[in-house]
Amino acid sequence: MRPFDYAAPRTVEEALAQHADGAAYLAGGTSLVDLMKLDVARPHRVVDVNSLPLHGVTTDERGLHLSALERLGDLARHPAVADGHPVLRQALLASASPQLRNMATIGGNLLQRTRCGYFRDTAAACNKREPGSGCAARTGDNRGHAVLGAGPSCVATHPSDPAVALSALDALLELHGADGVREVPLNSFYRLPGETPQTETVLRPGELITRVTVPPLPGADRSVYVKVRDRRSYEFALVSAAVAVDLHDGEVRGVRIALGGVAPRPWRAHAAEQALTGREFTRANALEAAAAAADGAEPLSGNAFKIELVRRTVGHALTRLGGR
Amino acid sequence: MAKPLIGTATARVDGTAKVTGRADYAADRTEPGLAHGHLVLSTAGRGTLRSMDVTAAEAAEGVLAVYSPFNPLKLHRIKTTPDVCFVGQFWLPLQDQEIRHYGQIIGLVVAETFEQARHAASLIRAEYDLLPVRADFAGRIAHAVPPPVAINHEDPQVDLLAEEFGTVDEALAAGPVQVRATYTQPPEAPLALEPHACLASWSEGVLTLRVGSQSPVGGALAAAETLGIGLDQVRVLSPYVGGAFGGKLYIWPHPLLTAAAARELGRPVRTVLTQEQVFTTVGHRSAVSQTLALGAERDGTLVAVKHDAVSSLSLSGVIYETAAHTTSRYTYKSPSLHVGQRIVPLDSPPTTWVRAPGEAPGAFALESAMDELATELALDPVELRMRNYATVFPGRGVRWSGKHLDECYRVGAERFGWQPRTAPRPQPAEDSDQVWLTGTGMAGATYPGNLLPTTLANVRLRADGTATVATATSDPGTGMRTVLAMVCADDLGIPVERVEALVGDSALPLNYGAFASMGTSSSAGAVRSATTALKQRLLDLAAGDARSPFHGLAAEALAYRDGRVVGGGHSLTFAELLAATGLSELDSPGASAPGAERLRFAVHSFGAHFCELRVNRWTGEVRLDRWTSVIDGGTIINPRTARAQIVGGILFGIGQALLEGIRVEPDTGRFANGNLADYLVPVHADMPDFDIHFLDHPDTDFTPLGARGIGELGVVGTAAAIANAVHDATGRRVRDLPITVDKLL
Amino acid sequence: MTDSTAPRPPTGDHQVPLELQVNGRTARLSADIRTTLLDALRDGLGLTGSKKGCDRGQCGACTVHVDGRRVLSCLTLAVGAQGKQVTTIEGVAEGDRLSPVQQAFLDHDGFQCGFCTPGQIMSAICAIRDGDTGSDAAVREAMSGNICRCGAYEGILRAVRSAAERTARQEGTG
Repeated sequence: MRPFDYAAPRTVEEALAQHADGAAYLAGGTSLVDLMKLDVARPHRVVDVNSLPLHGVTTDERGLHLSALERLGDLARHPAVADGHPVLRQALLASASPQLRNMATIGGNLLQRTRCGYFRDTAAACNKREPGSGCAARTGDNRGHAVLGAGPSCVATHPSDPAVALSALDALLELHGADGVREVPLNSFYRLPGETPQTETVLRPGELITRVTVPPLPGADRSVYVKVRDRRSYEFALVSAAVAVDLHDGEVRGVRIALGGVAPRPWRAHAAEQALTGREFTRANALEAAAAAADGAEPLSGNAFKIELVRRTVGHALTRLGGR
Repeated sequence: MAKPLIGTATARVDGTAKVTGRADYAADRTEPGLAHGHLVLSTAGRGTLRSMDVTAAEAAEGVLAVYSPFNPLKLHRIKTTPDVCFVGQFWLPLQDQEIRHYGQIIGLVVAETFEQARHAASLIRAEYDLLPVRADFAGRIAHAVPPPVAINHEDPQVDLLAEEFGTVDEALAAGPVQVRATYTQPPEAPLALEPHACLASWSEGVLTLRVGSQSPVGGALAAAETLGIGLDQVRVLSPYVGGAFGGKLYIWPHPLLTAAAARELGRPVRTVLTQEQVFTTVGHRSAVSQTLALGAERDGTLVAVKHDAVSSLSLSGVIYETAAHTTSRYTYKSPSLHVGQRIVPLDSPPTTWVRAPGEAPGAFALESAMDELATELALDPVELRMRNYATVFPGRGVRWSGKHLDECYRVGAERFGWQPRTAPRPQPAEDSDQVWLTGTGMAGATYPGNLLPTTLANVRLRADGTATVATATSDPGTGMRTVLAMVCADDLGIPVERVEALVGDSALPLNYGAFASMGTSSSAGAVRSATTALKQRLLDLAAGDARSPFHGLAAEALAYRDGRVVGGGHSLTFAELLAATGLSELDSPGASAPGAERLRFAVHSFGAHFCELRVNRWTGEVRLDRWTSVIDGGTIINPRTARAQIVGGILFGIGQALLEGIRVEPDTGRFANGNLADYLVPVHADMPDFDIHFLDHPDTDFTPLGARGIGELGVVGTAAAIANAVHDATGRRVRDLPITVDKLL
Repeated sequence: MTDSTAPRPPTGDHQVPLELQVNGRTARLSADIRTTLLDALRDGLGLTGSKKGCDRGQCGACTVHVDGRRVLSCLTLAVGAQGKQVTTIEGVAEGDRLSPVQQAFLDHDGFQCGFCTPGQIMSAICAIRDGDTGSDAAVREAMSGNICRCGAYEGILRAVRSAAERTARQEGTG
């Protein structure tokens, strides 16, 4: 770990002022401190945002508002989250371990860095860590890597569980920057790697996530998060699916299907959504939709199984919601 | 007479230290002037280290020294072999520029603080002249060669054939029913939760080395040989060891480098490895590929067993998995038998002993193959095993000192509620709502009973009524301290609370340590020998000392019973006798060693596992629900710690079956998942409900105490029981471990 | 500690004075700014009960309480833990009297080598307090952030269940 300057501002404005090139915001620390130890993250300055007044969960007509410094564990226990958003609660509880959930903040979790082993190893080629150095994962150990949305420059996946649920819930992110406040849909927040895998989001330099809003959404209460992994707990997803179904008289009026563990960002399976929308919520229709969940997928040498697993995971999720 | 402790569930004598955080492991001590070491590892798999740029590291804050092959710490060459001198690998780091595997030690940074040492190490840049890396086990099986030395005193190829056959293949062909399959498993890491750590300090030419070790004596041997000092100039301390599983039998090079640095700097140095560093600088279990062929009559009687194993062997090490010789060689009665072993030399970190070496992969293959044969024959798998039950060690004509595997099967099946089966379980319809497929599986387990070479112990009585038992073994969580204290307390007729067990110090009476499930049998035997001699000394003292109330009586007229010397109308505790005779303490050595039982008997522990699990029809996830094991381990000295050993072993086997495997990059030899997040070991939620039952058959043909080892038995057969249950549930036979979801889609 | 000048690669002495509240006492020490709470406890304050198993948030052996919540001290910067109440395994017994959870681990053989044990106990105390221990399945999940390679989970499960039941009884009657 490299030495750094440390600042612990008490207001958002102060935090923005403290941030500059080579600085990093520190919230729960579960991702940043880890990467600093690995010499992957090398901030000159650590701006500890834990003293900012970004706490609390509120609801109003615009929906459910989660302040960015709320810890995943607290959110999972919060009645306003549990009521009406099972998919989010389940995704929160499926994350990491209880200790890590007590540390990690919702804002930080959305910015969690990939678990790609080459990104985490300074001796390996990684365009995300060191642009232009190549991508060792394309030909290396890629069982855990992306089958959707990746490219020649990078095949890393986004590791967050809550982000997948929030993608299905069409969440909005409130961002504070030097130019003021703006709101960005989570589904427009993440960028695909393209030629610049080091730039993972639309965040501008120094910009902070200050709040996550889950808008009122028909069907959010009929939702589920299915996380598939080798170990029963305390592991990142091989594949996960966040699914919410808006059902009206047995007909699917709307469905949202987001995938985790398979793409550089929470991945909306639009083809599957379209396949089910407007149709009767039967097992056969659910499976037909699930079959389209991995449309466009391209396997690497070690992860072709994820394509079938995506379909099955979505099928499992839809049948759990009553598609039978 | 007080109820004997042996056989009574007894709480660990070191429990309070462990639940309060006072137990001190290797990295827990400090010393005045302590400096911190941090290893630098290679990022190439084979070749020559051309240069290292250490300028920035040397200039970094707090750095005391940067050692490398270009600025080495002198270590003396290993004159014996790596296993005899307990280093674990042939070569010692920094002595030359050769790169022998990815992640090998190429430097040691010593700095004032841990942060400074780690940071400086990250600033070092190395340049290599590369050679092609031979790391692809699967791709090199065709290049497998015979191992260099005998296995269990037998040839690498053993053929015991019925008279009418010239080869085992002919014998197989004569069986009307045959199964043949290849079973594979990746390398596995012992991965104790305590990463390897050491603290080296020198005082007047004498080295004190704190290191978590299964064998403090082995560590001392290694340090003396490589540091060029006498055995009397080194003391290895391992009071507490945070798990071992074979990975801490050898000391490995980092403590030797650390000790050399401490000597050169004139300061104590502590080096704590990261778990990532542990993966490549200490050993792992070989990758193994096994081909099993069974030939049988239609009634299930085996006519031939052919088991050929291929294991990876690191070119840096000497240990590899001997999967066939340790299982199929003796498990079943068969008129024709072939076991064979070959090795694939690899440019890998050292391969070494890992819990149940040989048996763990071997039993996966053999007990899976038996299940396949049972399926083929439409015969219940328990019944198939009974029809091929061995009562005599094949080819040697000796019986077992104690074998009650049949009872294990029978009692296990009963406790588990095993339903004999002769046909595949019906599968639900394609469009069924059923999510979980249930299956049951079983397998047998064997592990040899061995004794360490000469093992010494000392028991000391004190006038305050307490006793101390001491031997240079270690307690890496096995319950060794507790067992030694129990045997001592029982023999002396005093409460266990009055016995202190000293282990984990190479200066204690000679004991090669805790490994290969030999520790308890050997060490407890030495303790019993010491207490027997000590009781005689007490009687001699009572009879012979003028101050003793027994004075004048013949020693033969006295006895030691229930903690008291009695005779001639007198009865004194040993404390009273010591006080009366003006002694503050009295002690005696004791010893145990293997004897003629090795020739007269085969000695093994046995067990049978039964499990029930579910497989998710959608996702392929496997969930273990319940588990029954019945164990034949001779006398169970402490049922409490014994149960923990068996359960822990089964969980190790669950890891082998469902989770574990080092993914080796074939072109570089890099371990792609060498950390605790990506190399998965079982977590609490992976555990089934356990029903563990011990048979009560003391094996007094083996040792007077009648106890055989059980530390590794739980691992053996566990992976097969799971694979067999997965097959029962899904109809799929997975022969490549671990059984991950991708294999069940 | 805030510094309004533009960040630059820090040079020179990185020692900072730290004031930590540990086990009800104020501890002052000088430490490298990079020091984690785990290293500050172990090396700075000699509280070595918290263990460094992985140093990466992958095992749970370093679990301590910060303001009453179980967290991983290996991923917590010591500088950021100032002003918060830190409790370690050394702070849960009352003198020689073990806490109920410690006693339950002894009674139910909730450990083998003992290395993960302080983290298990610190985790269990919070899991019980948070009400996450009402069934075997709940305990299994609630304790899955603490890896035990010895496989002492069975004893841990019984220990946590028994301590939780005792706590519930005491609260019910108390």
